[in-house]
Amino acid sequence: MIKIQNLKKSFRTEEVETLALNNVNLSVQEGEFAAIMGPSGCGKSTLLNIIGMLDNPTEGSYEFAGHEVGGLKERQRTQLRKGNLGFVFQSFNLIDELTVYENVELPLIYLKMSKSERKEKVRTVLERMKIAHREKHFPQQLSGGQQQRVAISRAVVTNPKLILADEPTGNLDSKNGIEVMNLLTELNKEGTTIVMVTHSDRDSHYAHRIINLFDGQIVTESQNRAVGAMI
Amino acid sequence: MFKNYLKVAWRSLIKNKTYSIINVGGLAIGITACLLILQYVSYETSYENFHAKKERIYRLHQDRYNAGKLSTQWAAGAFAAGNSFKDAIPEIEDYVKVVETGDIVVNVDNEALKIDEVYFAGSSFFTMFSYDLIDGDPETMLKEPKTAAISASTALKIFGTTEAVGKTVLISGGRNYRITGVYKDMPSNTQLKPNFLASYATFQEMVRTNSNGEQNPEEWWDSDGCLTYILLQEGTDASFVESKFPAIVEENQSDFSRQSNSSTTYLLRPIEDIHLYSNYMMEPGPTGNGKTVYLLLGIAFFIIIIAWVNYINLATARALGRAKEVGIRKAVGSERRQLITQFFFESALFNGLALLLALIIMAAVIPAFNEISGQQLSYVLFSKPGFWGGLIALFSVGVFLSGTYPALVLSRFKPVEVLKGRMVSTEQGIVLRKSLVVFQFVASLFLLIGTLTVYQQIQYMRDQSLGLDIDQTLVVVPPIVTDSTYAGQKTAFKETLLQYPSITNVAASTTIPGEPVGWNAGGIKLVSQDEELAKQYRVIGIDYDYIDQFGMKLIAGRKFSEEFGTDPESVIFNRSAINQIGFENPEEALGERIDFWGRQYTIIGVAENFNQESLKLPYEPLILRLIPNVRGFFTIKTSSENIAQTIADVQVAWDKFFPGNTYEYFFLDDHFNDQYIVDQKFGKVFGLFTGLAILVACLGLFGLASFTTLQRTKEIGIRKVLGASVVGILKLLYKEFAFLLLLAFLISIPIAWFAASNWLEGYAFRIDLHWSFFALPFAVILIIALLTVSFQTIKASLANPVNSLRTE
Repeated sequence: MIKIQNLKKSFRTEEVETLALNNVNLSVQEGEFAAIMGPSGCGKSTLLNIIGMLDNPTEGSYEFAGHEVGGLKERQRTQLRKGNLGFVFQSFNLIDELTVYENVELPLIYLKMSKSERKEKVRTVLERMKIAHREKHFPQQLSGGQQQRVAISRAVVTNPKLILADEPTGNLDSKNGIEVMNLLTELNKEGTTIVMVTHSDRDSHYAHRIINLFDGQIVTESQNRAVGAMI
Repeated sequence: MFKNYLKVAWRSLIKNKTYSIINVGGLAIGITACLLILQYVSYETSYENFHAKKERIYRLHQDRYNAGKLSTQWAAGAFAAGNSFKDAIPEIEDYVKVVETGDIVVNVDNEALKIDEVYFAGSSFFTMFSYDLIDGDPETMLKEPKTAAISASTALKIFGTTEAVGKTVLISGGRNYRITGVYKDMPSNTQLKPNFLASYATFQEMVRTNSNGEQNPEEWWDSDGCLTYILLQEGTDASFVESKFPAIVEENQSDFSRQSNSSTTYLLRPIEDIHLYSNYMMEPGPTGNGKTVYLLLGIAFFIIIIAWVNYINLATARALGRAKEVGIRKAVGSERRQLITQFFFESALFNGLALLLALIIMAAVIPAFNEISGQQLSYVLFSKPGFWGGLIALFSVGVFLSGTYPALVLSRFKPVEVLKGRMVSTEQGIVLRKSLVVFQFVASLFLLIGTLTVYQQIQYMRDQSLGLDIDQTLVVVPPIVTDSTYAGQKTAFKETLLQYPSITNVAASTTIPGEPVGWNAGGIKLVSQDEELAKQYRVIGIDYDYIDQFGMKLIAGRKFSEEFGTDPESVIFNRSAINQIGFENPEEALGERIDFWGRQYTIIGVAENFNQESLKLPYEPLILRLIPNVRGFFTIKTSSENIAQTIADVQVAWDKFFPGNTYEYFFLDDHFNDQYIVDQKFGKVFGLFTGLAILVACLGLFGLASFTTLQRTKEIGIRKVLGASVVGILKLLYKEFAFLLLLAFLISIPIAWFAASNWLEGYAFRIDLHWSFFALPFAVILIIALLTVSFQTIKASLANPVNSLRTE
């Protein structure tokens, strides 16, 4: 599903050029659950953003489901992203002015889906995430765990092939954190590919594979055998 | 999609109440002010635009030259011009002569009814102009002598009905008129507003009869007073027709004017330009001021731009708050194009709400606006397509101008950066925001400096000594119905009045201070001078008591006195006239003899210059000529006690000596100050809109200060932790705004100075632009701005730093 070769990403300010990613090679198979780990500033989020087509690499190739996306324009990236990718952020990133229902509905609107179709999909996903009873609430009226469930609902409502999660439990207590991880695992079992950035050892054990990043380079990759044991 | 935009926009509007009130309220005030001014301007520019043939109708305008120098400009010209031009120039399709004549009195049920605005008009009047007729044939109604067309309200006054055609009316002077037409009262946006239109043929017949058939006005080239309107053939170039005038004038010029080295030029003035661009001698009605109209238009422009700038400033300042939403929308699949649409949609929502609010405000303030501006706006306005057209135009331009920048900026945010909170506000945005604030300050300062100048000038004109004492002076309007016994009646009237202890002096004159002189005499020179030195002078005919009545100061010679039997052959010059005729020292002029229309007069005195009219006008060369039995205004000097009784006493004497004439009086000082009404109104309107502009600008400043402070909350916290005092932090925050204001001040000085000097040039007697006119507005704006900013900054600087630092 994801094939990254010799990928480089540098940020340039007036005086310094920082190499955030250096010669990264990475493949993620369909149905896989991969965790990217590493210390602050190692380039985890940058890599995730490139995988999520929110950002372009400086050099190298990135193929998503057989399409080369490295040199695409913003508009083309948006088109490819729509419906194929779902995002879950550490700080939830819900729109404060929209209700739970409306937040989840948003990606469907951009897919130009009909109202009745949207309704059905949103209802289904909210039921599944056990947040349907809160559909008329605004984000600030919910707990952190509930907010993240809404964010996950929004990420999966389009049935994306790939979910990208950037420290999804970072702002949650352990109980809510475990709940969120269980949800992601469940989605993965149903066939959704997941790439997650995390600091947390506990969370990383939910993944099939752990990719360790240090100073912009992949230092180790390890298959995780203990997945079932954690649940 | 739009429903989603609407939800977000509406909810964020409700959530950020202060921001929304500032934005919508400011925009609404701006739009209201703009709409009011636009209405005012469109009314002022609508004069004469209802004539079907307006593109082809011109008024003949006459410029008089003395020794090659322009001396006077006239709305009315020679009687012979119209017919002579028509005969010689085939491109002239038609012409109509209109001659203003004095008020008339009609007896209705034994009551003297005075009718003003009386004119003689040529038979083409109703075919050339598009005034609405109620009854009568436009082709023929003013053809015959002793026929007249009257306005509907005049018909109602005289006959009690508008069905007056065929009836006869007897007017003062014993002339009978057959009514051949009744027209609707003239609309307010036209200059000529006759109540009574006698046929021009009547005038021709009167001239012929009075001169035993020797005179014909169609041959008069030396006498002014005839308004001539000309209708050109379709497709004719006015300047081409104008170019043919000089030859015709030259051919007909009299020996008299040829010798006196004077000449006359005729020009064609498009009828639609009269109201705003013409203010000449013998205008048949008040005219407007094009400068004022366009100045107001400029103010409207300023106000609305200030309001739009507020929107842009606040929307972009708030960008941080919106950035997250943009990031999320992009992450879930929105294209930039869709975000741009969304932000335009929001701008449309804000502008639309402001527009609604503006309509409500407008409906509420129309009466007050009319009061201040002297306009006649009414709710009929809301039914006019032009009004809605203006509204839609304001809305569209507003959405575009205020929406573009925020839309482009906000939609450009990169989701990666904003969602990670790595948003750094761009330097470019800050520069733009600051420039816009500077622009608002410049506009506010400009308007405030302007207001101050206008008020100071009006105050100056009212306070300035005229060189005449016009206090405690009652004026009685000249009698219309008089006969050969007038001289005796006048003397008896004066003597009767002087018996009242409350009346100290009574004088009569052809005009009074505050009124145009009207009598302009050319060809005047010293007997010893050559003809080509002859010049034009203004002349007032006065009786013996006039000089004392107004406390005129004589700088040489003496005033008129009955002790000298020869005084009717004497004149008094003012200082300007003495200078014009060729003397530096007034004493030298005494005893000199002048030629005045074939007779000789001796200069016996020289009066100091005085302001006959508004201080807008310069001193003019003026001749006071003694006419002991002058027919004109009576001026009555009264004591300040029991004025009501004095007025009643005067009426008793008036009715006794001038029966059949309405008793009409006013106080001279009020009348004189009435000349400044237009300026005062302008001052008020200017002041009002300046206030609004400053209010709107302050609203924006308040909003911007709130956001700036919010953004600097962390900085303030750190500074406080490091030991900064509240005062120190306030200074820091003020410094930024004070710098912008100072910059605006420097920019506004030359602009305001230029505009104010330009405006003041319209006044012959004017104030000098004092430094305080600039310093004071600066101080005012500085204080208002600092107060506005303080509200937020004090709150921020007093806050406990722990709170602001913990939010990170």
